[in-house]
Amino acid sequence: MELITFISGIIREAFAKKIILSIFIFFSLILLFIVFAATNDSVAGMLAFLEASEGNADYRSAVIYFETAVVSKIPMFMLIAFYLIIVSSFIPSMLQKGHIDLLLSKPISRTKIIIGHLIAGTSFAFLSTLFLFGIIWIIISSKTGIWHVPFLYSVIWFTFIFLVLYSFVILIGLITKNTVLNILINLILFFPLSWIFYLLTMVTRKGEQFFSFGAVTEFIIKFFYYIFPKPWDLADICESIIKQESIASYQPIITSFLFIGIMLSLSIWYFNKKDY
Amino acid sequence: MSVITINNLRKEYSSKSFSKNRIIALDNVSFEVGEGEIFGLLGPNGAGKTTLVKILLGITFPTSGSGRLFDKDLNDVYIKSRLGYLPENHSFPNYFTGEQVLNYFGRLSGVNPVDLKRKTDEYLNIVGMNEWRKIKIRKYSKGMMQRIGLAQAMISNPDLIFLDEPTDGVDPIGRKEIRDVLLSLKAQGKTIFLNSHLLSEIEMICDRVAILNKGILVKEGRVEDITSTDSYSFVTSELSDEVYNALLLNYKAVIQSKSNFLVSANNLDDVNIIIDFLRKNRILIQSVAKEKITLESKFINLIEHKL
Ligand SMILES: Nc1ncnc2c1ncn2[C@@H]1O[C@H](COP(=O)(O)OP(=O)(O)O)[C@@H](O)[C@H]1O
Ligand SMILES: [Mg+2]
Repeated sequence: MELITFISGIIREAFAKKIILSIFIFFSLILLFIVFAATNDSVAGMLAFLEASEGNADYRSAVIYFETAVVSKIPMFMLIAFYLIIVSSFIPSMLQKGHIDLLLSKPISRTKIIIGHLIAGTSFAFLSTLFLFGIIWIIISSKTGIWHVPFLYSVIWFTFIFLVLYSFVILIGLITKNTVLNILINLILFFPLSWIFYLLTMVTRKGEQFFSFGAVTEFIIKFFYYIFPKPWDLADICESIIKQESIASYQPIITSFLFIGIMLSLSIWYFNKKDY
Repeated sequence: MSVITINNLRKEYSSKSFSKNRIIALDNVSFEVGEGEIFGLLGPNGAGKTTLVKILLGITFPTSGSGRLFDKDLNDVYIKSRLGYLPENHSFPNYFTGEQVLNYFGRLSGVNPVDLKRKTDEYLNIVGMNEWRKIKIRKYSKGMMQRIGLAQAMISNPDLIFLDEPTDGVDPIGRKEIRDVLLSLKAQGKTIFLNSHLLSEIEMICDRVAILNKGILVKEGRVEDITSTDSYSFVTSELSDEVYNALLLNYKAVIQSKSNFLVSANNLDDVNIIIDFLRKNRILIQSVAKEKITLESKFINLIEHKL
């Protein structure tokens, strides 16, 4: 009961700060772009490209490649970064003096407050993405006549990528109590940090025959690769799923769940012992 | 039955500067508050009043010592549905209207949504804010914020209400109205814990008071008893740090300068114990005078001068 009130309070804050309005404007721009991009010409271009590179292409797989491009890494980064910037203010705004004191005097536990933030942020990302990708899917499908349902699974993958990074946003928000610092630290971790270690790990895997970094460097790369969040690996998995290919490795999914678990536990532990 | 029990409560803050000194906000404070009392905690700014209330509400944690509310542990979240709180310098989300503040915090306090509408009307009327209910609180004056804050503290019909400097920024008429609201709460059997740095606020309505100075409980008792003990003013040679601290801690002295302090004493024996202590520590006594006014009024004068 109190938890629902608390979550509705966060959502109300999002409306009050014109966040919902800015999302709407941002999404309208994206949709407008997709409407113009998803022409038969661009699918034909994709078809020609596929024929040139793989030899045996059909119209259906060209559409699927186009859809994959829509949710590929650069759009993923833009959308998730946009979400992260928005949710970065939630915790610092709650921690303002005179507000946090009152909140903590209410019959809602500190653990529930953190869980409430997690639920509110994740629902926000899920619903926004569902809305955006749902419309994109309808636009592409109605234009091409190919209704490829696995595209919609990317809503879940994007929400999951968001959740992984958001768990760290909550922790850093609690520690820094500062929106700008929170945004900076989290964006730097997202890009370039986690991206660099994603690339380096790819290189060490693929380049084994040609060269090696040396044991120590490789260990350091692996170490950071495993402790950092893995939005880029998850984006790869999301692509495989849209293309209905098999998933190369489940490791990023497992380590991401671990990452969420650890960040959440740290946040709850830190928030529960802190004086306000 | 005592509603609040505090046992040897101590709170140290690490100081924000680079010095290793720790700020002692509360130094082994113990007292009890009974059911149905209006209890006043009095002391200058920085005395530790807000810290004490925050510890009782589970917002801050004590370094050592313990407290109980309604005979339950302070970590008990459920007990909080029986509490109301008006924080010092509260800042509600400023996009709320007055009505929404009551609605949101009322629901967080566990007020049944069915009753909420009626209660919002009722409490907005009690604090005289009905005309302003639809206005965003960013347009409110300090006094209006205090009124909405007070309504917020009462809306869940709590048994125990903590008010931290409730009359801050409120005009004299508003102060009188707030006092009347508090007296009507007392008539309903509620317990009220009031923090203030103004004696005038406290002595008018409180049954019992505790006086806090630099984290030390100087005095605690019924208002009449406290305003009737004698006090003695000492003028001496310069006090060493050691003596200074001992006077503060062991003799609950109110120190006015390095060579002038006040103590309260019920009889001459007490006064002579202090004289012995000073002489033993090679402090020269220039004069000892019985003050006509009580320690506490003097103490309060002192505080008011500092403001
Ligand atoms: N979060 C904090 N960190 C460090 N020192 C603090 C903190 N909160 C309060 N203090 C210090 O503790 C002392 C008591 O403060 P407070 O409880 O606010 O007093 P009061 O409410 O009586 O004015 C002051 O010296 C204050 O500077
Ligand atoms: Mg205070």
